[in-house]
Amino acid sequence: MTGWLVAAAALLVVILAVGIVASTGPVMRRVIALEIGGVLVTLALVLLAEGFDRDVYFDLAVVLAAMTFATSLVFVRFLERWL
Amino acid sequence: MTVQQILIDALLGLAVLVAVGSAVGLVAARDDLDRLHYLAPASVVSPVLVALAVVAREAFDGRAIKALLVAAFFLVLNPILSQATARAARVREHGDWRLSQEERR
Repeated sequence: MTGWLVAAAALLVVILAVGIVASTGPVMRRVIALEIGGVLVTLALVLLAEGFDRDVYFDLAVVLAAMTFATSLVFVRFLERWL
Repeated sequence: MTVQQILIDALLGLAVLVAVGSAVGLVAARDDLDRLHYLAPASVVSPVLVALAVVAREAFDGRAIKALLVAAFFLVLNPILSQATARAARVREHGDWRLSQEERR
């Protein structure tokens, strides 16, 4: 197991903890946990791409980085105005 | 173990440590605005460290450029997202993001 995969596994454990926070408690705390979770999932994808030596996973990480921002922003706007 | 490998492992270890710190801060912070501060290390420091580790391994090939692109995305977009989230938290709490008359005094 390479350092990349070890780091990815450690991040996945952190993502699990953040996921628990994102699924319980007040709504703003959940959103912030979701935002941190999105970043960590993207980083885990980069680490897995390097660990498994797959170029295509990097593309997924780039798309996820952009989509995480867009979805979080839409979610936050809904929370501000309607929810 | 080469110097390059040691550098890569150190960068990855640091990136994971920062992510763990952010997760701990997320749980331990008192309120939402305090909690929001812990978004920054996870989305600015960790991606840059991971991108540097990829560059250290691959030099500037396609993978390294994509990893740097991911880091650049977070570097540029995180402040916007933090501001929008803080604004939403304030609006939900006070009804408006602007200072009230009492807060101005």
